[in-house]
Amino acid sequence: MQGNEQQAYDRGITIFSPDGRLYQVEYAREAVKRGTASVGVRTADGVVLAADRHARSPLIERDSIEKIHEIDDHVGVASAGHVADARQLIDVARRQAQVNRLRYDEPASVESLTKEVTDYIQQYTQTGGARPFGVALLVAGIEDGQPRLFETDPSGTPYEWQAVAIGGSREEIQTHLEDEYAEEMDLEAGVELALRALASVNEDGLDATGVDIATIDVEHQQFSKLSEDDIAERLTEFELGGDE
Amino acid sequence: MHDPENRLTDAYEPEVGTIPSDDEGRDEENVIKTGTTTVGIATEGGVVIATDRRASLGGRFVSNKSVTKVEQIHPTAAMTLVGSVGGAQSFIRSLRSEANLYEVRRDEPLSIHALATLAGNFARGGPFFAINPIIGGVDEEGSHVYSVDPAGGVLQDDYTVTGSGTMVATGTIEGNYDPEMSIGEARALAIRAVRAAAERDTGSGNGIVLAEITGEGVDIDRFDDYDSAE
Repeated sequence: MQGNEQQAYDRGITIFSPDGRLYQVEYAREAVKRGTASVGVRTADGVVLAADRHARSPLIERDSIEKIHEIDDHVGVASAGHVADARQLIDVARRQAQVNRLRYDEPASVESLTKEVTDYIQQYTQTGGARPFGVALLVAGIEDGQPRLFETDPSGTPYEWQAVAIGGSREEIQTHLEDEYAEEMDLEAGVELALRALASVNEDGLDATGVDIATIDVEHQQFSKLSEDDIAERLTEFELGGDE
Repeated sequence: MHDPENRLTDAYEPEVGTIPSDDEGRDEENVIKTGTTTVGIATEGGVVIATDRRASLGGRFVSNKSVTKVEQIHPTAAMTLVGSVGGAQSFIRSLRSEANLYEVRRDEPLSIHALATLAGNFARGGPFFAINPIIGGVDEEGSHVYSVDPAGGVLQDDYTVTGSGTMVATGTIEGNYDPEMSIGEARALAIRAVRAAAERDTGSGNGIVLAEITGEGVDIDRFDDYDSAE
């Protein structure tokens, strides 16, 4: 039975299985799938991050559900998976963004920031006694006037995307993105695509309090979150099952 | 083994190599200094850096007559050695490694502003105090000349002069600099400035080294006399 063979190799993170797998890293990927989805869309004039953050009870304060975070003026991160793990990585990214400003008096590039984070994640797949991060991130921002969108996964591998989904129902959302994505779309079209992609796996439709959206535009190179009203307006416009 | 926290680099120290924490206890009398006149002029076509070639001990003895006091530290930037030769040489090696590391990691060279900021941070936080270099370079934004002082001050200008011959050389350039001048005209002006300083400053002399920096790279030439440099 696979169970026995696996058990010998899935205890220690630093041990390869005979067929070259790191089970703990694979389990961490499962943890990401258990999280609600986040979506990133890169457009000609900016990057969009959208996250499903529906609440398990109407009594919870919505703002305490953190899925999208500002890293620096020009960079934002959306997460899927363990929020507590995400917070650690977000702080690494925030500190590294400021180290770059201190050291070079320049904003950190999105690519180098992503790689600082993935190098950090990687060390938790190779160090005895550690556990990998059970979270995937989307790192979005503007670099030298160009929009960039990266993904980090629990193995510490960075990927760059035009549009991507992480977390639960990733495959279905990704298929939606692949069908609908167009390189020349503008930021507003990117917001629409991100919302439609999230809605494609939510049969009951979306609700403005259960979605978080942020954009970083090329013109101002500034991270900004959409207000609940702005989101509600768009959900109504796109007929994605707003509050009404 | 791995300490993930160490990944976060200190903004005020080189990432590679260890450096002495201070110069205390060193025999000041025997530290070779450049005295020096170094000049940097920015033009639209590029940057010219000119330096003399004298090293001296305590300002009384010429310990070397053919020092190259400007070195390439980046694909399109150079820095001058001014002050303690040991401090300046190790500063140059550190900055050069940092620039290499940055470029190989990010697949684009450091901007000249970032290079000067880094140099200022190292001067501020590190052991390189007795130096006062000029950094000149060209990047996407154009031509830049910066002076870095021993306390880490970083100032950009159209032209700048450091070293013991500063007063004389600056007087030569003052009123003769024109932002529209060609790189050839800047070269001639830089030669005149170093030549004048070599005449009057005992810490400067023994010929001239010229660096021309354009978007293509850095060219460094050495001359025993000023006429052949023109």
